Amino acid sequence: MFEQLLILGAVASAVYALLSLGFTLSFGIARIVNMAHGSFFMLGAYLYYAYGPRGFGKLDVFSSLILAAITVAITGAIFYRSAIHSVMGDDIALIVVTIGGALVFQQAMTIIFGVGHVTINPLWEGAIHIFNVAVTYSKIFALIISLSLFACVSIFVSKTKMGKAMRALSQDRQAAMLMGINTETLAMLTVAIAGAIAAVAGILITASTSQMADPFIWLYPLTISFAVVILGGLGSIKGTLVGALTLGFTETAVVLYFPEGGFLKTGVALAVMVAVLLVRPKGLFGKRIELEE
Amino acid sequence: MRTKTVTTYLSKAYRRFALHILDIPSRLLALLLIVLFLTIPGILPSSKIMSYLLSVLITASVMAIFASSWDLLVGRCGQISLGHAIFYGLGAYTTALLFKHYGLPPWVGIPISVLIAAAISLPIGFPALRVKGPYLALVSLAFPLIATSIVFATKGITGGENGLPISVAGRFFQLTNIHNLRIAEYYLTFLLLLVSAIIIHKIANSDTGVVFVSILDDEMASKACGINVTRYKLMAFAISAVFASLAGGVNVHLLLSASHSDFSLTLSFFAVIMTVLGGMGTIYGAIVGAYIIYFLDMYFLRMVVEIPDVWHILIFIVPVIILVIKWPRGVARFVTDKLEDLSEERPLEERGKWIWKKYRRKKKSANED
Amino acid sequence: MHLLEVENLTKRFGGLTAVNNVSFHIDEGEIVGLIGPNGAGKTTMFNLITGFLKADSGTVKLRGENILGLAPHKIVNKGLARTFQVVRPFRHLPTIANVLVALKSPRGSDKIEWIKTRQRKALELLEDVGLSEMMMEPAEILAHGDLKRLEIARALGTNPDLLLLDEPFAGLNPIETDLLTKSLQTINLDGHTMVIVEHKLHALMKLAKRVLVLHYGEKIAEGRPEEITKNKKVIEVYMGKEK
Repeated sequence: MFEQLLILGAVASAVYALLSLGFTLSFGIARIVNMAHGSFFMLGAYLYYAYGPRGFGKLDVFSSLILAAITVAITGAIFYRSAIHSVMGDDIALIVVTIGGALVFQQAMTIIFGVGHVTINPLWEGAIHIFNVAVTYSKIFALIISLSLFACVSIFVSKTKMGKAMRALSQDRQAAMLMGINTETLAMLTVAIAGAIAAVAGILITASTSQMADPFIWLYPLTISFAVVILGGLGSIKGTLVGALTLGFTETAVVLYFPEGGFLKTGVALAVMVAVLLVRPKGLFGKRIELEE
Repeated sequence: MRTKTVTTYLSKAYRRFALHILDIPSRLLALLLIVLFLTIPGILPSSKIMSYLLSVLITASVMAIFASSWDLLVGRCGQISLGHAIFYGLGAYTTALLFKHYGLPPWVGIPISVLIAAAISLPIGFPALRVKGPYLALVSLAFPLIATSIVFATKGITGGENGLPISVAGRFFQLTNIHNLRIAEYYLTFLLLLVSAIIIHKIANSDTGVVFVSILDDEMASKACGINVTRYKLMAFAISAVFASLAGGVNVHLLLSASHSDFSLTLSFFAVIMTVLGGMGTIYGAIVGAYIIYFLDMYFLRMVVEIPDVWHILIFIVPVIILVIKWPRGVARFVTDKLEDLSEERPLEERGKWIWKKYRRKKKSANED
Repeated sequence: MHLLEVENLTKRFGGLTAVNNVSFHIDEGEIVGLIGPNGAGKTTMFNLITGFLKADSGTVKLRGENILGLAPHKIVNKGLARTFQVVRPFRHLPTIANVLVALKSPRGSDKIEWIKTRQRKALELLEDVGLSEMMMEPAEILAHGDLKRLEIARALGTNPDLLLLDEPFAGLNPIETDLLTKSLQTINLDGHTMVIVEHKLHALMKLAKRVLVLHYGEKIAEGRPEEITKNKKVIEVYMGKEK
């Protein structure tokens, strides 16, 4: 049992980390609380289906994954430019617009693919045994790809010139603009990257667990992303990793050790998040303000 | 002697009525709309389509109560809640359970569940005291989701994903003719909406409401004015929960079931959309928004133009997004502003002049003493 | 007993000591000035006294009662009000409503039974600072000078014994400065003790009977305005060392 918890928890945490990284970047850098973040997850899964052997693309599994990620990145950029751009600064309008976007994506999927579910191919057939636990290759790939991508994006943000510009944007938008940084393009790029990695996470999770996608699966990743990010602290990459680990293992534990685990897991994870917030209102690694604001 | 005092009283009342309502075009419009809505069932012929129209208006009324409760909390007090369905669902399930297990009629069951929901709103509002802005928005999403988890996990009590139906005896009125039933329910819900709207409006414009706005504008400055911000925030949550759970409870006795969709994210989001569409912070905007959305979706798109279900959300979401971008202050607010411009009335200014005159008079008489 | 007694107040932000072991007292009826170059710790001091910032050590006593560690609104309700350096009006509310908020606090509500009385008191306060004309205007359209006066009216609404004013003269033209000086003198005569942080020394010296000087978080001088303006150390701090 414990080995199961360790391995499955690790896989879940890795993919959650990747998914939530997009959300944290969106908020930290582009200052957007994107309610449609879960939609990128969903679109990724659907496009992987469409490009793949069961869909019209008939491509192999890994090509469809990459192509899906790119498509979602472009979609994210377009979404930013058309809808989000005009309501930047108005928090409430932003929430309404992104919620609207999420609903539009949901309905689009219903219209194109139907209201039932579509089958998602696993990344690789077969399984191996680690510590007496049967682990599918799909899950192993999910773990490896998630961690690699997470590391890549983190390094990109912390070491490259563009990444530095993004961090400048997250700290002081106006100052960044005055320094000649093109904030609009950078924000759009951030949303595109966020979309791409959310899409990959979507593919990895559906391919390695449920093996299906339906038009309503955007709600769940939205919930997880924000739970992870709130727990870890909005805008902190380190926090996202810690948050993902916490929630990934908590959920896996609930599913493994409780009879009604499948239903309870989200609730318990969220309860943990609320509990942490009462003690640390800005999340574990979020910026803390001293003054009684 | 008697008739003289009655007529002076009546003329005084009329003058107040004229000052507060007739002279202000937006209020006059509201009055006309209320009269219109009160006479609709009387002038419509009884038919299947009209029964359906009535059910749409019934749903709109209930949703309007829900939306206006959200507006008080968010538009007036600034506590961004994206999980308002928690209170709606609480009201729904409590009422359903009270009826199912204790046979309490709606007139008894609903007030009790409202009180319970108000009590539970305090621990739910508690995180709001600690977190702000986007953190609060996202944390508030958690509560209905936790509730849904509990519903699914306690299938024995709550019926899980199948929902919790109640028998036909749970209806507000035991009428066999569907059309007559709808008419009765329509009047009930519309009157509930009127009463709720008036109460919320009175609170929003009272001194307490002024403090709410101070918290919205600048919490720190509010504290510097000696205001116990915590207490007022919890108050806002409690009042908001009262009306949101009222909506949930009433709906159970209309639809004869409670289900986990009463906690759904979509429902919470709808509160946001209805209110923002109509105009945040105005209270009446939320009501207008609710009517627009439900009328558009349930009536227009289904009966008049007959578009398949799947396209509905798309069709009304896109104009909503455009409206929000174009008129961030809301549709109802746009109408009110236009009316004020046309008539050159400035209600706030007039009121100010009136208060100032009374103040001067009091001062004069105080000085003369 | 002193109205306000501050002893060994210290606040550190990481490596920087913003307020370093400062002690002073304020007596009933005084107008005391608090000056010092930018960054000396004056606003931080205000924040510490009014409960908006947690102190690292020291004590703050209001009429002998320890108020350090109390929540800001509780301190206000004990009779200690403040204004902000950068004005913080309630933008969505009309001017009179801004004052109404303060009058809704427990201390501000003292002696007010009816809503009408509260309205009347708010109007009185607005008249005192000369803002009654703007009573129904939304606060967001008010000019800077008016907003500064609104801050004061609002603080007065809480019925304070001690008023901490943070740069009330900032951004005012000479006429406004003169009017405000007269208003503050009247407010003081009405029984309100005041501590005023200010950079416009000529305006402050007209009001204050006693002045405290802060520099890098330390109290470097204290005395009557005439003494302070001649104090070598103070001049050094403002003007730099003489070559």
